Amino acid sequence: MNIPGRYFDGHSSAPLEATLEFDADGMVRVHGLPEPVAARVLEVEISDRIGNVARRISFPNGGVFETQDNDAIDAALDAVRDVVGLRHGSGLVHWLESRWQVALASVAGVVVITVAFLVWGVPAIANWAAGVMPASMDRAIGSGSLDVLDRVAFEDSNLPKARQRELKAMFTRMTSSLDDGHDYELELRDGGGLGANAFALPSGIVVMTDQLVELSKSDDELRAVLAHEVGHVRGRHALRHLLQAAGVTAIATALLGDVSSISGILSAAPALLDAKNSRDFETEADNFARQWLQENHVAESSFDAILCRLSHAEGSEAGKKDFDFFSTHPATGKRASCKAPADAAVAEPAEAPAGAEPSESPAPEESADPAELTDPGEPTQQQLPAEPEPVPIS
Amino acid sequence: MNESIALEGASGISASESRGASRVNLPFEFRGSGGEYFRIWIVNLLLTIVTLGIYSAWAKVRRLRYFYGNTYLDGHSFEFHGRPLAILKGRLIVFGAYLLFVFAAQINPLVVFILIPLALFGVPWIIMKSRLFQTRMSSYRNIRFNFHGTYGGALGVFVGWYLLVVITIGILYPAWVKKRVEYSLDNAAYGTQKWSFLTSTGRFYTFCLITFGLGIVAYAAFIFLVIGVAKGAQAAHGYGPAADIAALAGLGLGFWVMMLGFAAVALAIWGYYQASFLNASFGGVQIGGNYLRSNLEIAPLVWIYVTNLLGIVFTLGLFYPWAKVRQTRYQLENMAVDSDGNLSGFMADATPKTSALGEEAGDFFDVDFGL
Repeated sequence: MNIPGRYFDGHSSAPLEATLEFDADGMVRVHGLPEPVAARVLEVEISDRIGNVARRISFPNGGVFETQDNDAIDAALDAVRDVVGLRHGSGLVHWLESRWQVALASVAGVVVITVAFLVWGVPAIANWAAGVMPASMDRAIGSGSLDVLDRVAFEDSNLPKARQRELKAMFTRMTSSLDDGHDYELELRDGGGLGANAFALPSGIVVMTDQLVELSKSDDELRAVLAHEVGHVRGRHALRHLLQAAGVTAIATALLGDVSSISGILSAAPALLDAKNSRDFETEADNFARQWLQENHVAESSFDAILCRLSHAEGSEAGKKDFDFFSTHPATGKRASCKAPADAAVAEPAEAPAGAEPSESPAPEESADPAELTDPGEPTQQQLPAEPEPVPIS
Repeated sequence: MNESIALEGASGISASESRGASRVNLPFEFRGSGGEYFRIWIVNLLLTIVTLGIYSAWAKVRRLRYFYGNTYLDGHSFEFHGRPLAILKGRLIVFGAYLLFVFAAQINPLVVFILIPLALFGVPWIIMKSRLFQTRMSSYRNIRFNFHGTYGGALGVFVGWYLLVVITIGILYPAWVKKRVEYSLDNAAYGTQKWSFLTSTGRFYTFCLITFGLGIVAYAAFIFLVIGVAKGAQAAHGYGPAADIAALAGLGLGFWVMMLGFAAVALAIWGYYQASFLNASFGGVQIGGNYLRSNLEIAPLVWIYVTNLLGIVFTLGLFYPWAKVRQTRYQLENMAVDSDGNLSGFMADATPKTSALGEEAGDFFDVDFGL
C-alpha cells in the first residue's frame, strides 16, 4: 500500500510530493523522488502518534517523510509488528488519550490522588522531615517572637512573686525529665486583651497569662494546660506546620504551574487545609496532655474542667457546634465532656482537689481563648514518638 | 512571561513554496482543538502523578509536539524534537540543586547571599542555553532552527543592561525590553538563514510610555473617586439614621462598582501593553526576504484572558486545555509571513544536529521560565 505524503531531504526546505511503502521484505521505500530512498523498518524512526499531528518517518540519510494519514501508518506498523515489536508501545498512550471514558476516569483519578495526598501525605511527610531536623531548628523558628508579643500584647505579670516562683518550679518539675533538646521554661504575663490563655513557643518557652491562673481552681488544672502546651513543643507543631504549608504550596504550583495568575486565587484551598491541620495538632497536644495526666496520676477531669471553664468564659463556643472546617481548633464539645465531669473526678484515685469539680464559674469580664487547648476526641494519626517520663508531683 | 512567549513564537517561523516573484501573505494556522488536547493533558497528568513526576518529561514532549505539530504555515507543520530522557535528567539535577539550596538556606540563611553572584552570572548562561535548546529542538520542513547568541551577549543584556536600568531609575527600561527581545530573535536562525530584528527602540519607548501614562491617569482617577465617595458619605452624616444607612449602603455599592471598574481599566491597560509588546516583537522579524507580521488586538486579547481565567477558576483547572488552545489559536492566527514567494530555498545549517553534548546541555537547561 502506498501512503501519500511529502518528503524533505533535510538539506533544503523544498517539499517533494511522494508516497511511502512498507514492503513485505521489511523495507520502507519512498517513491516518486528523483533518487529512490529506502531503509529497513528497524532503521527508520517513526514518530509517536499524538492527536492528529502529522506523522514523521525519519530515514538514516537525514530525510523525513511526512504524512497526515496516521491510520495508514498505524495499519502498516501493525502489519510488520513481528519485525518492529513493542518498539511502538507509545501507541498505548495514544489509545488512552483518544478516549473520553479514559479522560473522565483520569479526572477522577487526579482528584482522588491529589486530595488524598494533601490530606494525608503532606502531614506524614512533614512529620517525617521534622523528625530528621535538629531541635535547633525549633529555636530558630521561635526566636524573637516573645519579644514581639511583649511589646504588642503583654504586660508584666501581676501575680505575687512567690506564686510566680511556685508555678515556675512546678513547670520545671514537670519538664525536667523530658530530654528532647528543648529548653522548657515558663513565662508569666498579664494577658491584657488576650485574656485567659496559654501558648507555647517552638523553642520550649510556654507563656501563661495571669488571667488563666486566676481562672483555674487548682494547680492540677494548670498542669493539664501546661502539659497540653508541652505537647505542642514536643510534637514540634510549629516546624511541621511550616513544612506542611511549604508542601501544599509546592503541590499547588506543580499542578497549576503554567497558570501562575490562577494559583493566587486558589490559595484559599491551602488555607482550609491549614485549619484542618491545625485542629489535628490541637488534638495531638490534647492527647499528650491526657496521657501525661494519667501517667502522673493527676485527675484527667481537671483538664475537662479548665477547658469547659475557658469555653464558658468565651461564651460563643457553644454555638459553633461541630461545624469546624474553618476553625483552627476543634469545637470544645468534641474536646472535653463538659456535661458530666463529676464522674471523671471520682474515677481518679490519685488526687481530686478542688479543681476537679465540674463547677463552671463564668468569668464574663475575660474573653478566654480556648483555642490554645485541645481536645481528646478522636485518636490522632501521629502519636508522639516519645513516652513522657513520670514527673514528680508537688 | 514575555520572554517565553517570544520563544514559543520564535520557533514558529519559516518559509513557503516558491510562487514566483510577487509577494504573498502566508497566515499561520492552528489546527489543534480543546477537546483533543484535554484528553491528552488529563491522561498525561494522571500518568505524571502516578509515576511521582517521572513521566512529566514524556508529557512535556507530547504537549510540545501537539502544539508544534498543529501549527501550520503554508500547509506544513512544525515539529519538536526534544527527547524525554534528556529532559528528565536535566529536571532531576535542577530539582536536586533546588532541594540542596532550600535545605542549606534553612540551616544557614546566609547561604542566600553567597548565591546572589552565582545567580547573577548563572542566569544569563541558563537563558542562553535554554534559547539554544528551544530553537535547535524545533524544525519546519525538516530544517532545524538555530541560535547564535553568546554568553557574553546574554551577560550584557540580562546583567549589564539591568544594572543600567537601575542606575537610570528606569528611564532605560523600554530600551532594555527591546534588548531582551532582540537577544532572543536577532540571534535566531532558520537553517543557515539568520534572523534580523528590525523594530526600532522608539516603538518600544512609545508603547511603554503610553502604558505608563495610562496607568498614572487610571491611578489618579481611582484615588479621586475614592475620596469623592467618602466625602459624599460624610456629607450625608447628620441627617438622621436613615441617611446614615443609605450612605453606608451607597458606600458599599460604590466600593464594588469602583473595584470592578478599576479591574476593567487595569485589564484594558494590560491588554494594550501585551498586544503592543507582542506585535512589536514578532512583527519586527526578518528572515531573508520574508517578514513576520503580528496584528494582535487589545479587546480580543483581554476577552480571551478574562474568560480563560474565569473558566479555569470555576472548573477548578479543568478548563485549562481549552484556555491554552484558545490563546494559542488567537495569537497564531493573527500572525503571518509576508513572503517573497521563494520559501523553499532555505538550507540546513552545515553544523546542524549539534553534538550530543550540546543537545544534552540544551535539554539540561530547558528549565521553564514560568510561561
